[in-house]
Amino acid sequence: MEIQELNDLSPLRVFEESLGGGLGRGNLGVLVSRHGVGKTACLVHLATDKLLRGEHVIHVSFSGNVEHVINWYKEVFREVSDGRSLSDAASVYNNILSNRVVMNFSQENVTIDKVLSSLETLIKHGSFKADAILFDGYKLTVATEDDVRRIKEFAESMNLEVWFSVSPVRADVVYDKYGVPNTMQKYTNLIDVLIGLIYNEERDKVVMTAVKTHEGMVEKPMGVSLDPKTMLISK
Amino acid sequence: MADLQNLRNIGISAHIDSGKTTLSERILYYCNKIHEIHEVRGKDGVGATMDSMELERERGITIASAATNVTWKGTEINVIDTPGHVDFTIEVERSLRVLDGAVLVLCSVGGVQSQSITVDRQMKRYHVPRIAFINKCDRTGANPYRVKKQLVDKLGLNAVLMQIPIGLEERLEGVVDLVSMKALYFDAGPNMDQIREAEIPAELLAEAQAKREELLDGVSMCSDELMEAMLEDNVTEELLSKAIREATIRLELVPVLMGSAYKNKGIQALLDAVVSYLPNPTDVVNKALDLDKNEEEVILTSNDDLPPVILAFKLEDGQYGQLTYIRVYQGKVKKGDELYNTRSRKKFRVGRLIRMHAAAMEDLTEAGCGEIAALFGIECASGDTFCDPKLNYSLSSMFVPNPVISLAIKPVDKKAADNMGKALNRFTKEDPTFRSFVDPESNQTIIQGMGELHLEVYVERMKREYKAEVEVGQPEVAYREAITQRADFNYTHKKQTGGSGQYARIAGYIEPLPDPAEGEELKEYEYVDEVKGGSIPTEYIPSCDKGFQTAVKKGSQLGFPVIGVKAVVNDGAWHPVDSSDQAFQTAALGAFREAFEKAKPVILEPIMKVEVVAPNEFQGSVFASINQRRGLIISSTEDNAMCTVLAEVPLSEMFGYSTVLRSLTQGKGEFTMEIGKYGRVPTSVSEQLKKDYQEKRRKEQK
Repeated sequence: MEIQELNDLSPLRVFEESLGGGLGRGNLGVLVSRHGVGKTACLVHLATDKLLRGEHVIHVSFSGNVEHVINWYKEVFREVSDGRSLSDAASVYNNILSNRVVMNFSQENVTIDKVLSSLETLIKHGSFKADAILFDGYKLTVATEDDVRRIKEFAESMNLEVWFSVSPVRADVVYDKYGVPNTMQKYTNLIDVLIGLIYNEERDKVVMTAVKTHEGMVEKPMGVSLDPKTMLISK
Repeated sequence: MADLQNLRNIGISAHIDSGKTTLSERILYYCNKIHEIHEVRGKDGVGATMDSMELERERGITIASAATNVTWKGTEINVIDTPGHVDFTIEVERSLRVLDGAVLVLCSVGGVQSQSITVDRQMKRYHVPRIAFINKCDRTGANPYRVKKQLVDKLGLNAVLMQIPIGLEERLEGVVDLVSMKALYFDAGPNMDQIREAEIPAELLAEAQAKREELLDGVSMCSDELMEAMLEDNVTEELLSKAIREATIRLELVPVLMGSAYKNKGIQALLDAVVSYLPNPTDVVNKALDLDKNEEEVILTSNDDLPPVILAFKLEDGQYGQLTYIRVYQGKVKKGDELYNTRSRKKFRVGRLIRMHAAAMEDLTEAGCGEIAALFGIECASGDTFCDPKLNYSLSSMFVPNPVISLAIKPVDKKAADNMGKALNRFTKEDPTFRSFVDPESNQTIIQGMGELHLEVYVERMKREYKAEVEVGQPEVAYREAITQRADFNYTHKKQTGGSGQYARIAGYIEPLPDPAEGEELKEYEYVDEVKGGSIPTEYIPSCDKGFQTAVKKGSQLGFPVIGVKAVVNDGAWHPVDSSDQAFQTAALGAFREAFEKAKPVILEPIMKVEVVAPNEFQGSVFASINQRRGLIISSTEDNAMCTVLAEVPLSEMFGYSTVLRSLTQGKGEFTMEIGKYGRVPTSVSEQLKKDYQEKRRKEQK
């Protein structure tokens, strides 16, 4: 199968449709759930889809090991390309690699200013024309409102999409039926798209619910869910 | 056999500038081999004892690994000092082959850097048990806990702290030994550098106990005996120490020690750990290949009474003449013994047998199993196996990477030319990654190696040691050529104009071999014979193969080897009189040239994995410098005040980068690189390369 066809058939098209045409530049999107539900895989799948469509992405991680992140991309790409027997997969992978940069911050309490200034440096001095930035594991639930506002401004001024994967830091948070913790509520007004992920035992799938979209608070189930084996977005 | 328990062959491996040479120097000092301490970049002009080469002294780096013998508390330790710069990794690899164990030195500030990862991978390849020493704990920003965590995260080692520091940075006083639960200070004696044992300071007791629990947990995972003792609350120091030793030798555990070589802290404890935890020669299984039995594996036994099997792992042309460093794997070697070199198939007699201490030596009458010694005046190459004339063993061949860069050199006068010849002859024997040859087209002498610095060092050595003054050309990259699509050929080679003629026709196609799987190297060439019905007689099938092999040695775009080609022959024609081996070879050559042009050929260039480390404020300049060099930023990691940028950059763009980086970062940035893969050259660049090549050829033909 050729890339074009693979992209057209991708479950990500359904995902975007559920959001009324995707997140869009200058906007913030959030995937939220408990730990271990599969947000990173989901985020990497989002990024891989963008890469396959020729976009440039920056993956921001706070884990301390770049290798892990790179392996995630390798795995997700393998799943995606094997599933559709993509032709010439090895060279496609090599090509999309040049459109991805992993930016890793190992220090515990890095300020959002520092992160944004490093991103700006990369985009300007590294001449990396990013179309989207994905924050994996950013502690959005403990960030201040001001921090989130600043990220939003950055997304607007740089004209790019920003996605977050978020898990609550504290143990005592309460989750609603969509998997959204109550600590997220204070930012809902700053976020453009909020998606809750929760494992549903009956269906043996991780169910995705769009809690907020461009239309406002909608709470409509998305047409896609996470495959419990591959953790990828699937129809 | 008994004395082998008291022998350790160890290496010291690390990232550049993490202080290996200083550490080696201190080991010599504490083992009473030297009486004073010199600094690596010494102001006294004497320099550290281990760096015997003048050049190493000047640059503050260790190039050749000198083997030196010391005694610590009744145990003999052969220390092999290994270079840290990535350009010299063949030296590291060769040293590792003869080691039974190693000390991985890490900087407490820099932590696990790219070089440490390379060295660790090499150690894994040769199954070398190791202990880690976190050096430079006296430096600002020292954090041994972070480094230990990196050993676990980045290298995937089961690293366990054996000690915790007492004070850090300029307040570093000593360490707490978690095995004996004692505080160790290093301030006794007249020079304030001897060890002093004391009780653990009260403020550290709780932490020490917590870390000891971690130690017990970590070690008991690998030892049932210890696990039982823990359940019965009956852990003795001996038992713990034994469990650590066994797990370390099985490569299941990496004990972590710490200190500061420069400030003389922690060295004695490290030496104790070398003796306690690293294997003696009998703990390690060594294998050889029996060349008489189709390279069957043979296990060598550390027994002095068996016929000797010896590896020559290093040659050195020192001030006393040619030295061959050897390690005895089985049996023993005596002066006057006859040995057999299984590579050159020559017998020789052992003349002088010595043991080296950096620049001084000691005569021996014999060297037994597991020992490291040196021979004088033996004609051999490094990596050769010597054994008893009755045996025909070879110790497994060592992995040698292909060179990535070449440089044309020209002697300034007749005398320099003679000396240059001698020098090149010597260097190519010493270092398998260094090659030299005369280019038949340009008649220039070309040297090849693993990087700019690698070649620079040899040019310097030629000047200093051999008085061979040479002019150096522009460094050249080892490009490769490849095809991107299938192309058919149907080629007839015909010369039938009287006398015995030549006739051969071959048909088939060439196509690119599939991309190799992760971690595998691309196959250079494959030949498939699909001829049916005898259109080419069987006797000429290998001739076609040979013709293609000649063709792939030199592509038609730049004259570099063609890689990743599959050649398939499926039809042809022959003539009962005029066809010959030569005719089919020529036809294959012609067929390949014809098809190559149609197969959309491209040029490949070596892409280096580059790691740049610089203070955060220079991140932008580093990004920009990589970007200007057609580089690809893979990742950037920010950690405290430093950022580490990983990138893939074509080698051709990396010339002179060290100077550029230094000026960009006010001297605070450093970088390492190693060959990553071969990648396609962009069209704009390859057009220029082809033009230059054509021009060069035109000039040569004039």
